Amino acid sequence: MPNPFVLNTTNREDLSIMSIEGYLDAHTAPQFEEKLQAEIEAGRTRIVVDCSKLSYISSAGLGVFMSFIEEIREHSGDIKISGLAPKVRHTFEILGFHDIFDLLDDVQAAVKRFEDKPTREV
Amino acid sequence: MISLGASRLEALLESAQLLHSSLDLDDLLRHLLRSVMGRLLVSKALIAVESGGEMRLALVRGLPRLKAGEVYSEDDARACGVEYVFPIGEERHPVGTLGIGKPINKEINEEEIEFIKALLGLAASGISNARAHNETTRLNQELDQKVQDLRTLLDLVRGFNSTLDPEGVARLLSLTLTGHWAIRKHAVVAWREGHPPASRAKGIELPPLEHIKLQIADLPEAARTNDLPESELSVKLISQGAELVLVMRSGDAPIGLLALGPRPGGLPFTASDMEFGAALAAQAGVAFENSWYFRETVERKRLEQELSLAASIQENLFPAALPRLAGCELAARNRPARQCGGDYYDTLPVAASTDRHPHLLCVADVSGKGLPASLLMSNIQATLRALLGRIPTLTELAAHTNELLYATTPSNKYVTAVLVQIDPVRGNIRYVNAGHTDCLLLRADGEAVWIQATGTPLGLIPGMPYSEGSLELHPGDVLALYSDGVTEAQDEQEDEYGEQRLADFLRPIAHESAETIVDRIFAEIDRFAGAAPQYDDITLLVLKRLSDVEE
Repeated sequence: MPNPFVLNTTNREDLSIMSIEGYLDAHTAPQFEEKLQAEIEAGRTRIVVDCSKLSYISSAGLGVFMSFIEEIREHSGDIKISGLAPKVRHTFEILGFHDIFDLLDDVQAAVKRFEDKPTREV
Repeated sequence: MISLGASRLEALLESAQLLHSSLDLDDLLRHLLRSVMGRLLVSKALIAVESGGEMRLALVRGLPRLKAGEVYSEDDARACGVEYVFPIGEERHPVGTLGIGKPINKEINEEEIEFIKALLGLAASGISNARAHNETTRLNQELDQKVQDLRTLLDLVRGFNSTLDPEGVARLLSLTLTGHWAIRKHAVVAWREGHPPASRAKGIELPPLEHIKLQIADLPEAARTNDLPESELSVKLISQGAELVLVMRSGDAPIGLLALGPRPGGLPFTASDMEFGAALAAQAGVAFENSWYFRETVERKRLEQELSLAASIQENLFPAALPRLAGCELAARNRPARQCGGDYYDTLPVAASTDRHPHLLCVADVSGKGLPASLLMSNIQATLRALLGRIPTLTELAAHTNELLYATTPSNKYVTAVLVQIDPVRGNIRYVNAGHTDCLLLRADGEAVWIQATGTPLGLIPGMPYSEGSLELHPGDVLALYSDGVTEAQDEQEDEYGEQRLADFLRPIAHESAETIVDRIFAEIDRFAGAAPQYDDITLLVLKRLSDVEE
């Protein structure tokens, strides 16, 4: 595999910063789903997903974001997505995800957005 | 031609630049309306734009009864206070219409009308450009969407190829569809006989599987719930907020259902979306089938391994060699119906193992098959061996064995057994028949004596008493202990072989050796069964009394 999927989570106060790398597709989406689920089950619902090293996302990968967003926002949390490369951002936009999620330039901007706007209307 | 003053020419020039620098239709129309309203000091104005052969209101100011998006009618507009109406572009095929109310404090003079016409002439080409641009953008978006559809399908098929369990297939399918359409509420369920259903849901509760199965047959591959004929299923789906249903099939038979909630921003499911959904559902149908097939193959392999393990346990349970008994001949054979059966026979010395000492002969039929049956057999063998010699009578041996098996095995496991203790020197047998099929002692003179049940099967009911029978053996007598596979063997008409046929067959061959008698009876059962399949194990133990033995 030329671009394996790598996932790292770091906790910063009450924020979880999950950085995902490589290919997030039907093959790797279940891994991401399990990690995200584990965060929520641990009561951590303020999540930044840093995509600056993400080279590809498929619909199945985007499905993971949809799977939890309602639950997270019901708990006044949110998923903010940061650092999308133009090609990956294009996929988010074609499928309408920019209307549902805050897409930020980098982790810092995402962290700041949590201060200004901790959650969004579903 | 009325010439325009310098300030108007300047305004026109500015507008021309603005109108042609923007490819955004909304911006352009807003600028146009602002210019007109500011220049002429009107407070009521509208612009309608031609779209699909109709004029539709695009921008409305100061006319609260008119709404953008509605079909434009000049009469309505005039009724609301529009005084002047101008075509935008060619009068015969205008790209739009401008309507304005009465200017505040003055009438519109001819110069101003010329100004408006000039402005609208400029706007017309701007509007055409913007619309062409919009159309291109829309086509590009459509193309992007199609490309994304294909990517999604390809990605899903790849994912399915590496997913071996049905729950994994359900998960991939649901992640992919919810991601592709940015949907939150959804439910998926797929089923197959002999497997638990695979399902996954968020925010939509499907009706019970039995109801789905009854009502799904007539559904198309993909349908909007609002287009479904009214049924319990469609009402339930709509009440749960499902907008689209997809049906997965294997051949013609439905094997699964997907219900999807609304897309964000009220986006509809288009015909091309439904086509895409149906293609995904078709792929998922195949993936579910494969995963079940895989699971069945694994299960079959596991069963085969278990059976071969059970068979090797059983092989070790049967005595490696039969004992020699004074004045007697002994032969025995077991033939399982499949790799591994439920019959068992054994020969055990009661105290010492010389040919003059008493021996226990046992034929037993264990409930069930496979590994559990083998373990039960091994259990009864260990029990008999442990108790034999310590327990003075056969009836107590049976009663103890009954208690022990009852205590150590599940209540649905039991053993029927005939236990025969032979004393080769005294030439007699004592027996207990614990719920086993009748066995036969054929006297030398041809009389058939049946060894019938003297108690219940072992391990079935605790505390049951067993009674004992005894018979003298004389030279030429043949004792046949067997499992019900002998007397219940069926022919093609499903007639059973039965006890009478066995006695009648044995009578003329009773002079043969015990070994030959066993051979002949097996051959006879096969002849009787013909082409009928045999599901039961066959076990036969023959003891032939050759002569009396001196004490």
